[in-house]
Amino acid sequence: MPSTKKCIITIEIGTNAVRVVAFDLSGKTIASMKGSYPTFHSQPDFSEQDPEQIFITLLYVLKNLLNEYIHPSRTQVLSICFSASMHSVLAIDKSGIPLGNAITWADNRAQKEVQQLKNSPACNSIYTATGTPMHPMSPLFKIAWLKNNDKERFSNTSKFIQLKTYIIQQLTGEYLIDYSLASATGLLNIHTIEWEEEALAYAGINKGMLADPVPIFTSCGKLKKAYQNSLGLTAATQLIVGSSDGCLATLGAGVWGGQKATITIEDSGAVRVIGQKVLNDKQQRFFNYLLTENCYVSGGPTNSGGIIFEWFAKQFGDFKNPFDLEHTIEDLISVAAKVEAGADGLLFLPYLLGERAPIWDANARGVFFGINIKHERNHFVRAVIEGILFEIYSIGKILEEHSTIKSLSINGSFASIPLCAQIIADVFNKPVSISQHNYSVGAGAYLLSATEMGIFKDLDEAARSIVLTEQYFPKKNIHGVYMKHFEIFETLSTRLKPDFENVVSLQ
Amino acid sequence: MSQFLLRNDHSPELEPFVHILEFAQKKNNSINLNSFTDACSSYLRIYYILEGKFDWVINNKSYTLYPNDLGVILPGQHLCAEKGYLDIGSLYWLHLQLPLPEKTNKQSPDGWSQISSQELVSVKKILFLDSTPVLTRIPDAGSIFSSLRNELFNQEIGYVTRVNQLLDELLILLTRKFSQQQNLQRDFPQTFLKLEETLRKDLSHHWTVEEMAALVGLGTTAFSDKVKKFTGFSPMNYLINIRISEAIRLLKKPSVQVTDIALDTGFYSSQHFATTFKKLTGLTPSQFRKNNI
Repeated sequence: MPSTKKCIITIEIGTNAVRVVAFDLSGKTIASMKGSYPTFHSQPDFSEQDPEQIFITLLYVLKNLLNEYIHPSRTQVLSICFSASMHSVLAIDKSGIPLGNAITWADNRAQKEVQQLKNSPACNSIYTATGTPMHPMSPLFKIAWLKNNDKERFSNTSKFIQLKTYIIQQLTGEYLIDYSLASATGLLNIHTIEWEEEALAYAGINKGMLADPVPIFTSCGKLKKAYQNSLGLTAATQLIVGSSDGCLATLGAGVWGGQKATITIEDSGAVRVIGQKVLNDKQQRFFNYLLTENCYVSGGPTNSGGIIFEWFAKQFGDFKNPFDLEHTIEDLISVAAKVEAGADGLLFLPYLLGERAPIWDANARGVFFGINIKHERNHFVRAVIEGILFEIYSIGKILEEHSTIKSLSINGSFASIPLCAQIIADVFNKPVSISQHNYSVGAGAYLLSATEMGIFKDLDEAARSIVLTEQYFPKKNIHGVYMKHFEIFETLSTRLKPDFENVVSLQ
Repeated sequence: MSQFLLRNDHSPELEPFVHILEFAQKKNNSINLNSFTDACSSYLRIYYILEGKFDWVINNKSYTLYPNDLGVILPGQHLCAEKGYLDIGSLYWLHLQLPLPEKTNKQSPDGWSQISSQELVSVKKILFLDSTPVLTRIPDAGSIFSSLRNELFNQEIGYVTRVNQLLDELLILLTRKFSQQQNLQRDFPQTFLKLEETLRKDLSHHWTVEEMAALVGLGTTAFSDKVKKFTGFSPMNYLINIRISEAIRLLKKPSVQVTDIALDTGFYSSQHFATTFKKLTGLTPSQFRKNNI
């Protein structure tokens, strides 16, 4: 008996976990499951993950979701679409076996390589060609680091791939990388969609050592027979290569041109716009990643997201039970909501992890500024939240120099806290909406699949289908208060640069 | 009574207790040069500070112990005073042979403990984790030491049982405090990462949920809930995924036998390994190896 029910599955290979979501054809979530894996820090600047563990975790979660909720014999799985965090690097040998762990986006080992390129004339032309900021996160520098510091691994490497490429290769046998992830490697010319010779030369590799870049809608082969059997799927399920988490979070938030920007804040954060043009910033403060031909997701990433507030909660929160961070954070948020906007002139620079956009200063550090004798703990809580959101605003502000932004769509666990959403509306002085989907990366991957299958005419129509549930509007007179504070915030973040450097030398 | 020294080779009080090598309380009023120099032993040494401030070097690291602090020196670790002599103050100490998990026979001198052999394995795992040898502010340990002293000197009916119970109590207290102090109780991701590293270092061990929970300093129920929420898996499934990830890595190295992989990665047998592996990947380990090399 042929089955009538149909679904689309999305797989997000995230920073800390893999999340598998099943959607019905109308975009409603049927089921969602996650499985986490650790990041290992064998040295202070290193962030690595075990590719086999990620693969097994993914397989396990996918299998459980299919068995518990979908029952492939009764519901047809039309397609599976992949997304992944950007900037990972995995070296594999000629048999496709990983040489060591994968290096993740958060790895900072390649600072010397960044400095070296920044001081060379090639810096500007490589940035203009690739759209990827000069930062240790970029695979370009990670590969250069391996060349300079891990000669054995480098010489045994047949290919440098991304985690998503590895997972897809395990499942189908094909080595592919989609345009979005390829454009986040610092090695792809986003204008010609070819690997950029000058960048390849700097990394010390040739293009045969990279996977083939393909459009995000591309089918990436058939599931190997063994996995078909263990998952209960058939060769009829289409595997779609998909895109990067950043691009899909933007699409999944319903942003597609139209003078809108997306703000995503989880542990880290980003402000992004989608447009037909590359934002060519003289100071190289933005990334420009390719979604489809002539369509770019541009913006700036920040290190200072929810992880900074978590740090504060762990140090100064009131833990009623061991490991009960969640309730501790809830208590702090409710405390912060009672404090006036601006925390009575207490400011916080959230640079505990250095900072990417807009100041791109790995040495930046955290600051509380303006403390007086009347400030209490509650003011500090509020100041930390406002500091994180001021940093987001500082990215938005320079984005507005290049494109018009009339409204904002937000996602991510930190940004979606009602207090934060309201502060974002007040600081930006723009209406803010939250999409109905809890997981906008998954939602974006669903839109991509549904467009590929002809449910939507194009991604533009797909993005418009996103229903925005909650709206926040800027409150009268509050924006002005915030701007007075922001002015000091902005001045401090640039003026303190030499002092940051001095203090880092003591740490 | 403010001072005493009981030693197994000449104190009748310790006769029923082969495992207590030395138990003492010392009030130190004067400085004797070279009275406290480097020593390493094959037994467990526990020091409890009553008064004063003691600067010690334990395994080449400096620590300062204050009243109510415990210094726990594991077999094979070195201890000496920073200045070579014992500082002024007063303290208890106990030298103890750790009970052996495999000797639950009450007649054997190693089988004095009532802690179940499985829990003893956990206790030892936790004690020997790379943790700080000083536990701060543990007044409960002080009460145990003074009860021990009273039992040994008064020898009322049932005192042999009580002494061993008190030693068990002390071991359990140490273990719990170690796992709690190791884990800041605020940062589950960090704690969980440490647990993962411990599991990976000793993957052939058949870990139980109780053992894993003990390493983190939580009860099993709280631990399972926390892990499920944080990782999406039950602790056991999480562990199986680590085992299979490691197995896959080894299967890709043609030089390692499948049977060895099964045992090295903590499966009970090749059969158990093959079944678990096939359920997830659709292939037996040998087929997987053929397809991947």
